[in-house]
Amino acid sequence: MRQKARKRRNKKEFFYDYTLLLIVLLLVCFGLIMLYSVSSYEANLDFGDPAYYLKKQIFATVIGFGVMIAANVIDYHIWEKFATLGYVVSIVAILLVLSPLGKTLNGARRWIFIGGISLQPAEIAKIAVVLLVAVLICKMGRGISQWKGLGVIIVVAAIPTLLILLVTSNLSSAIIVMGIAVLMGFVADPKYKKYFLLALAVVVIGVLWILKVYMESEGVSGTGNYRDARVLAWLNPEAFADDDGFQTLQALYAIGSGGIWGKGLGQSMQKLGFLPEAQNDMVFSIICEELGLFGAFCVLLLFLMLIWRFMFIANNAPDLFGAMLVVGVMAHFAIQVILNIAVVTNTIPNTGITLPFISYGGTSVVFLLAEIGLVLNVASQIQIQD
Amino acid sequence: MRGYKTYHRKKILFFFMVCLVLMLILMGRLVYLMVFESEYYSQKALQLHERERSIKAARGEILDRNGKVLASNRTVCTISVIHSQIEDADAVTRLLCEQLGLSEETVRKKVEKVSSIEKIKSNVSKEIGDRIRKADLAGVKVDEDYKRYYPYGTLASKVLGFTGADNQGIIGLEVIYEDKMRGTDGIIYTVTDARGVELDAVGESRMDPQAGNSLKVSIDINIQSYATMLAEQVMKAKEAEGVSILSMNPKTGEIYACVNVPEFDLNQPYTLTEQYLQLRGEKLTDNTQDELNRMWRNNCINDTYEPGSTFKVITAAAGLSEGVVREENRFHCPGFCVVEDRRIRCHKYGGHGSEDFVQATMNSCNPVFVAVGLALGPETYYEYFEKFGLLQKTGIDLPGEANTIMHKKEDIGLVELATMSFGQSFQVTPVQLLTTVSSIVNGGNRITPHFATGIVDADGNSVEEFSYPVRQGIVSEEVSARMRAILERVVSDGGGKNGQVEGYAVGGKTATSQTLPRGSGRYISSFIGFAPADDPQIITLVVIQAPKGVYYGGTIAAPVVRKLYENILPYLEIEKSSKDTERE
Repeated sequence: MRQKARKRRNKKEFFYDYTLLLIVLLLVCFGLIMLYSVSSYEANLDFGDPAYYLKKQIFATVIGFGVMIAANVIDYHIWEKFATLGYVVSIVAILLVLSPLGKTLNGARRWIFIGGISLQPAEIAKIAVVLLVAVLICKMGRGISQWKGLGVIIVVAAIPTLLILLVTSNLSSAIIVMGIAVLMGFVADPKYKKYFLLALAVVVIGVLWILKVYMESEGVSGTGNYRDARVLAWLNPEAFADDDGFQTLQALYAIGSGGIWGKGLGQSMQKLGFLPEAQNDMVFSIICEELGLFGAFCVLLLFLMLIWRFMFIANNAPDLFGAMLVVGVMAHFAIQVILNIAVVTNTIPNTGITLPFISYGGTSVVFLLAEIGLVLNVASQIQIQD
Repeated sequence: MRGYKTYHRKKILFFFMVCLVLMLILMGRLVYLMVFESEYYSQKALQLHERERSIKAARGEILDRNGKVLASNRTVCTISVIHSQIEDADAVTRLLCEQLGLSEETVRKKVEKVSSIEKIKSNVSKEIGDRIRKADLAGVKVDEDYKRYYPYGTLASKVLGFTGADNQGIIGLEVIYEDKMRGTDGIIYTVTDARGVELDAVGESRMDPQAGNSLKVSIDINIQSYATMLAEQVMKAKEAEGVSILSMNPKTGEIYACVNVPEFDLNQPYTLTEQYLQLRGEKLTDNTQDELNRMWRNNCINDTYEPGSTFKVITAAAGLSEGVVREENRFHCPGFCVVEDRRIRCHKYGGHGSEDFVQATMNSCNPVFVAVGLALGPETYYEYFEKFGLLQKTGIDLPGEANTIMHKKEDIGLVELATMSFGQSFQVTPVQLLTTVSSIVNGGNRITPHFATGIVDADGNSVEEFSYPVRQGIVSEEVSARMRAILERVVSDGGGKNGQVEGYAVGGKTATSQTLPRGSGRYISSFIGFAPADDPQIITLVVIQAPKGVYYGGTIAAPVVRKLYENILPYLEIEKSSKDTERE
């Protein structure tokens, strides 16, 4: 027994998921390079400093790496005790957006401003939900296979989801929070049927809604609400080129003009003010324009490898809690990457979603790196049995 | 591993596979957008990024029959400002005010206007353009451009015409041959950012402009100049309101000279000339555009008049063709004739007495021609009128040719017929009269009067030769020969004596007509003369508007043709005839 334990300890000390770390470092560095390329021209015009966005992002990334290292070292089981607290804090943070601490950027009220730093509470909610749902699933045991168990998880996720939707009208973050919870439930549950029914319901509702908006648009024009207009712009961006389809159309111009090999790093034309806020949601379209189909595939492959590493770590996690944490993070990355690329290529309506590590956004990068730290800690506790 | 089961692994693999499938779909979508739709979106994007600036193409020149340049181009500059590139608006405003002589208010408004490009002034001289370019202020564009330049100023002004601010023809040949002379503008494509700021790093691509082709016209600058001088002389001497001289090759319709004094300065077409202002005197109105249009009128083509006795050529030709009259037929002129209830006077008080038809033509005897007209009858006379082409336009290649003003066929009674016989009660343009007389004396071919003979490219190579319709058999060759003989007698021994040119046989006919309303004391004197009489190679019509003092066409218009022919017949290398030398 003792010998076995030593052996196990030795393996534990030796295992570290360098592959994951390398992928993350690659993505973060690539993200910073692209951010500079995309934002420097506009930043220079608007702020007189081409590195305006880069500097802020580097600052957030440094903090992010600090947090990642901390999460990497601290045993993830400790977080079990903070799950409820984190959840409550995140909900309070969302509500704080309504307080005088709240801050409006680019016409959207999604930030709070504390001690000279602006934070996007929705980002906190994502990691908080991952943690709390993982805890709940472990407590439930077999209970997750009941409708009731799934119901509890959905309710837990629904509170921040609705708050994010109502307080910050941030559809994409809401989708991510709910998506994470349901996917974690799916993995934890031995059965499939419930989830297929759920998926079917979502698809049917989505299609019906699109049809409804489409039918209405035949009769009345320009009276639809914010999200209806997005659907119409998605169906025919060129007809809505002046308002809702504008960003999408500009993104398509960028993607299409990239061709197979791209125009070369820094050579994008669309970033010169044609594609508004190119450094945010639509950054991937500039990657396509500058680096071509080749570059775009490389980025997609990096993310796929990242998700594959998550799967590997989850499958070898020392316990269910660790596995569920990794599944939550995996769900977060997968949803965000797929939705972002789908939006940028106008495969689905525009929800305003960022690309992990590459889009500009300080809070996002800090919490994403925190999640990576968490996963690395789970990975470092993997016990290999021959 | 506590709590983690095989189904978890399956589920997580399932999830991963879903992600993989979705990513593959997105990759497919990317391939579609970036490979198959790439062309479309690249094009759209390029349209968005590029701004076009045009480079004006040089307009083709106008060349006279010997290749002398009548209309050319000068390099001028167009000054514009690009709002987004201006760094020092005050300096730009100051510079442009100073150099262009514009008011500060006008310039400032344009400099401060938010537009992609704002034109400040075009047709700025190259020197000023160079000075502005040298100041090198950001946001100021100096584009080179061409402006029409007419080296001979007023010469043939109403024929050549001039061009407007965009180098488009406004009147004259410049309008008619706009498409032939206009070049194809080039384009400079500059790439800009979303604000319209040009990106120096990308540079510009250009499509070079293509200069237009040159127009060759039949005008001979020497004949035109000399005719203009003569016209001005007689205008001054007779204090006339205007003098037109139209000189043409009666066989081909090529016009050698088309003079309408007073002319105007083609290089400053929008300035009413001193001469014009004087002539208009108190009649001058405040409507500048009306006055300009009046000044630009080509009287030979745009205005009609009662041709008077020169029209007897047509009556005579009709009479001879129809056989109602022969040269040897004798008439008696008592000084008047009576048609229905009207008494029509001959211009010679007391009458010409007994005379044959040739003498009657030499005397320009009205009663004889009334008799010929009545012998033809209204129907036949109208038919000849139509056959000779008088009811149609001549088809000359200048804009605004006036129609013949004529009685309706059914309204022609004997009185109308009588007056028409000697060229009254209807109106034609000078070019119409000249063309019709040409057709009668050239063997019966109705030619199309014209200026343009062809198109040549910048190197002088022929691109296109024009041909014009000719209608044959207006009169028979025989009648034509007889008409030439009669008209020669008019000049050698009759009313056109002053049109004689030493060494040449000239045929012609004079006219003196009172303008409407009758009794105003205003006359139009004219003379139409061709040479050599037996084989006409040049025909000229001189029309003097409202001369003071002696107003007889034979006295004042015929000498103009004589002076012209004395110089240009040798110049055109037309051989002297021995017959005339003998007579002298």
